[in-house]
Amino acid sequence: MGFAPTFIFAFAMGMKCHFMAGYSAYCGGIGAAAEVLQAAEMGGDLAESCSYHRLHMGMAEAVKRNIPINPDAILPIPDIMIAGRLCPEMAYYAEGLNRRLGVPVLPVEFPIVFDREDVPRIKKYFAAQIKETVIPTLEKVCGKPFDYDRMSEILTVLKKVVTVRNKCWEFFKEKPSYWTLWDYGVSIAPLFYMMGDPVGITYYEKLLKELQERKEKGIPAIGPEGEKYRLYWDGWLPWAFLGKFMRKLTPHAAVCLTGRYLWEFYPDPDMIDPEHPVETWINLYYDGKEPLAMEYAPKGALHEIGNLIEDYSLDGMIMFSSKTCRLWNISQLDVIDMLEKKYGVPGVIIEGDMIDPAMVSDSQIDTRLEALFELIDARRR
Amino acid sequence: MQVPEEIVHAAGLIPVVIWRGNEAVTWGHSHIPPYYCGIVRSFIDDAVRGKLGFMDGMIFHVRQCLLIMDIPLIIERHVKPEYMKLLYLPPVYPGEATRDFLISDLELFKKSLEEYTGNTITDDMLKSSIAVYNENRSLLERLYEIRRKKPQILTSAEVMKIVWAGMLMQKEDHNELLKELLPLMEAMTIEPTTKIKVIPIGCLCQIPPFDVLNMIEDLGMVIPDDDLYVGSRYFANKVNMNDNPIEALAERHLKKTPVCPTKGVWDVLWADDVEEMVKLNNASGVISIHVKFCPPHACYYPDFKSRMIEKGIPEILVQVEHEMLSMEGIKTRLQSFTESLGGE
Repeated sequence: MGFAPTFIFAFAMGMKCHFMAGYSAYCGGIGAAAEVLQAAEMGGDLAESCSYHRLHMGMAEAVKRNIPINPDAILPIPDIMIAGRLCPEMAYYAEGLNRRLGVPVLPVEFPIVFDREDVPRIKKYFAAQIKETVIPTLEKVCGKPFDYDRMSEILTVLKKVVTVRNKCWEFFKEKPSYWTLWDYGVSIAPLFYMMGDPVGITYYEKLLKELQERKEKGIPAIGPEGEKYRLYWDGWLPWAFLGKFMRKLTPHAAVCLTGRYLWEFYPDPDMIDPEHPVETWINLYYDGKEPLAMEYAPKGALHEIGNLIEDYSLDGMIMFSSKTCRLWNISQLDVIDMLEKKYGVPGVIIEGDMIDPAMVSDSQIDTRLEALFELIDARRR
Repeated sequence: MQVPEEIVHAAGLIPVVIWRGNEAVTWGHSHIPPYYCGIVRSFIDDAVRGKLGFMDGMIFHVRQCLLIMDIPLIIERHVKPEYMKLLYLPPVYPGEATRDFLISDLELFKKSLEEYTGNTITDDMLKSSIAVYNENRSLLERLYEIRRKKPQILTSAEVMKIVWAGMLMQKEDHNELLKELLPLMEAMTIEPTTKIKVIPIGCLCQIPPFDVLNMIEDLGMVIPDDDLYVGSRYFANKVNMNDNPIEALAERHLKKTPVCPTKGVWDVLWADDVEEMVKLNNASGVISIHVKFCPPHACYYPDFKSRMIEKGIPEILVQVEHEMLSMEGIKTRLQSFTESLGGE
């Protein structure tokens, strides 16, 4: 188990990995979320806790108490949990599973960086943890030296994957767009679960070919006339409700094209240097014009979203505010205000959850979307 | 919470711990969703209503929880204090990297205060401030010892107010007031109580509503001790003075107990801490006071509860909010709890 900045080290050791958001998206995708969340409540979890956290606790409760849930939602007990503490909840679930199942925890602090001046020392801290704790612990668990060569191979493949994937990304700039953020969201698994497997290159090459064909044949992502509203989507994708949101957006000829969340996964392949695997991986998060580790904090968000608004000719912003996970919500209302003032692009908050149906209200979504479209229309007049 | 106040004190400033106001959130809801904890919503509300202009500076420990991370940008935009500093105090993770980073964070904090005030903070100044704070911790410990022996000497709300006052006023003054109070408390004769003793726990970074504490006592229970932030958690663990005061402050931060769910401790159990407290006070039960929308406490709570059940310690959850809409639900729960413990 792990999270984005750390699981490559487990992959390099030949370990099979699951990661928090990946499992949650999977549960949402197979329609198992509601029953797993119910199992969590039976274990005493409070409904206001992060739904990704609750999904893992629910799965553990189901295993412990033999509660019948969709068998496809049950994971094997891991040998180790890498508790990457990007948001503190990402550590709580590993700590909780340790208390309930006794699985060893390998904790890594991965602070969200608020100010650029803090980047060098936080990078140094993250790097020290990788070298001092992560690699030695994985060596101990696996009973063999860390496989730097395998990590280099993984990065070589990843670099190719991301390069092809970026060509697909370019299609979001087309007007009309030939695919949506949702399409990209459901295409993300090869990046993670097949990290280092050349099949990822094949996957994105096929995707690229399909996008090129759509362009040649003039088949836009939505409707024969293409989109009326080109939108930014902030925060997690609503994994259990992708269809619901698409059904709400499409009748308005609205399409979500970009978002910070999915953009965070290695936008700059030139930074990947397989010859220096560990260093390059750390650099990916802390170097570059806009370090990824800053993207979660408001100042990084303002910069990143501003760039996306300009580069992708966006008309409006949907700021998805999860009621149980506040990772992407940080100062979201002020961020909207500042972006509106700078770029003249309106935004609305949509409250909901990535997984938990009890937190999603149709009428609230409809009302907010209608307000957004009216705002965009008013500014076009 | 967790910010070493001693460094601020040594800079010649008055450190004041972030507080939850006593007014309903209004304008703040244009800046923060309602599903955030009371202290964050209340503080942001005060900020955007222009009520924090009297503060010269603000310091936020942005790794404490996700919710606190909302505050800095809003303060920068709407309050613009002369001094603002973000700390990244790490969780209590194993390894030298964590300790080194923590020390560097504290050193930078000290340096930024020196730049703001224009005064150097020497080791002796810092040691002197640590001594003031350690004295305060000793005095509050003594207060709690007296209360343990004479649980009805003060109401729980009164004890909270004494601790809270120390978070808001000059520590030297607080120490002097405590030195006046403690002999009076020691001299007082209080009849031994036969009431049911309970331990409130939780409220990890803010004061619980006094109404809830009063209700516990009105229902015939008595509170001889607590595991609350505005309570025993605030003064737990003195700083062990050594040659390097920054390192000494870092060592205090790295203590695993009292267990705090925000600090990444999984190999020591909170329930074990509380069990000790229950035994020490010969208490009959535990009341978990959970601040609604406090993720660290919410995520930890099921494990705490299951351990309480395993240990055979009666425990009940009470959820509190900044705007308490109704006390009736809490009263019903507490009444049932009292009765289950053999009270009336």
